[in-house]
Amino acid sequence: MNITSKTLAALVIVMIFGGIMVSSALGLWQTTTTKEPAKFTEGEFAGQANPADIRGSYTFGDIEKNFGISGMLLAKAFGVSEGEPDAFQVKGLEELYASSEFEIGTNSVRLFVAFYNGQPYDLSTDIYMPESAAELLLERNLDPERLAYLQAHTVPNLAAGSESALPPATAPEATPTPQTAPAAETPVTASTNMVKGKTTFGELLSWGVPQAAIEQIIGGPLPEPSITAKDYCTAKGLSFETIKTQLQAEVDKVKK
Amino acid sequence: MVTLFGKRIRIFRPRSIWLRKVVQAFFFVLVLAITINHTLAESGGGIPLLSSASVHAICPFGGVETLYQFLTVGTLVQKVHQSAFTLMAIGFALAILVGPAFCGWACPLGTVQEWVSEIGRKIFRRRFNHFVPEKLDNVLRYLRYGVLAWVLYMTATTGTLFFDAYDPYSAMFHLWSSEVAIGGLVVLGITLLLSLFVERPWCKYACPYGALLGLSNLFRIFGIHRNESTCKADGACSIMCPMNIKVDTKTVVRDHQCISCMECTSEAICPVAKTVMLSTSRKTPATSAK
Ligand code: SF4
Repeated sequence: MNITSKTLAALVIVMIFGGIMVSSALGLWQTTTTKEPAKFTEGEFAGQANPADIRGSYTFGDIEKNFGISGMLLAKAFGVSEGEPDAFQVKGLEELYASSEFEIGTNSVRLFVAFYNGQPYDLSTDIYMPESAAELLLERNLDPERLAYLQAHTVPNLAAGSESALPPATAPEATPTPQTAPAAETPVTASTNMVKGKTTFGELLSWGVPQAAIEQIIGGPLPEPSITAKDYCTAKGLSFETIKTQLQAEVDKVKK
Repeated sequence: MVTLFGKRIRIFRPRSIWLRKVVQAFFFVLVLAITINHTLAESGGGIPLLSSASVHAICPFGGVETLYQFLTVGTLVQKVHQSAFTLMAIGFALAILVGPAFCGWACPLGTVQEWVSEIGRKIFRRRFNHFVPEKLDNVLRYLRYGVLAWVLYMTATTGTLFFDAYDPYSAMFHLWSSEVAIGGLVVLGITLLLSLFVERPWCKYACPYGALLGLSNLFRIFGIHRNESTCKADGACSIMCPMNIKVDTKTVVRDHQCISCMECTSEAICPVAKTVMLSTSRKTPATSAK
């Protein structure tokens, strides 16, 4: 049996597009990851989306869908003045605040959402918030602990197009001092190895972090290298923020 | 068609499979449009009704890269999406049936290399695609299996899309984006430069996906068969083969580098009808009719 070039051309096209159509019909054709964060499983917030699971690939629109905070408000909070706010990806903040001495990124958005909605969030690490976001949070009746944390972790809006509206007089007070902001002593930029939610144990090893150090921090044997630190912490019920800080310290040691 | 010395010879024959060029251009334009649309969609715009998938979502090799993680942990490597699995399965099904037709008919990077090679062919004429000494070439052809093993190992151990930093395919469709990797750009530049001298250098020497699909040549259902009884032995098929396979010395092409382009067949360069064909058995109709 022979195949001509016409038959082969038809076969290639039919198999590729037919295969895509069949997989679509079966619900297997997904060209994006589902933007649904993990939910709190217990306590008074059980069933609600957990802000700690917001990913860098989420847009402000995805956050609006999952957490009910409008994209416009998020854009105002983080000084995003260009384009459609709903389409702005959270990971874009790292670039926007690249010149900032303090890291403003996905963690800042997670914290903002948790504070704004009054949901639990681990405050054991330093997460910074631009003035414009802090100003909006101050309107939300924060408890004293959160209020103190916010005041100690508010930094000036540095991004181009920032829409900070805090009166200048309050800014110096709100700017963290080196004592409250140890991260300022070793500023970490986007170009260096940074431990993030999506960092895998394999990456940590490839950056030169000794296996023994990782095992000591996570309190157990090294898991599968392809598992992310965040997924591991979630599965083991550990605080990712705490583990992240300790892992970052090990990464920084290697860099030195 | 005339009969000369008892053999049926086509006087006016196409030198190339034109339909392949059309299909190649179609896939190139489609992938280009989708990836540009991805960038537009990320900034809040985008063309309606056109997919805005990322290049990683529509690359079948992404499915291969994430296979280990999927089987061991149940998750996909970052940036890879479920659609890559579908494309991987389609690529494998095609390969089992007709060999690496994905490489010869659909892969946009293969297409771009061929376009650049047209310039090289015009400059160097007969020397084009014959610069690499045969002995060295034979060894280099296995390099892509090393690349495949390296990519799979690194992806499995780091859990990241490690190859993205060096992937010329990804770089080509990220040229306008801030996500373009310098390593990928360098590899793309070298590939296109080499395409002036060698046909499909990336496919021949380095492509990990081509390495994997190439294995299907050993057992594919429809293969390239040469009918010895009608062959004029003019060597045209071997001269035309972009992958430098000596088709005129074989009755069936089992070379791991064949990309099912059909340029060696009687539909293209072979002047004798039904002599080099894409078929299921050695016996082409010409012989079986005897
Ligand atoms: S043997 Fe024929 S089909 Fe295979 S690559 Fe060479 S010309 Fe193309």
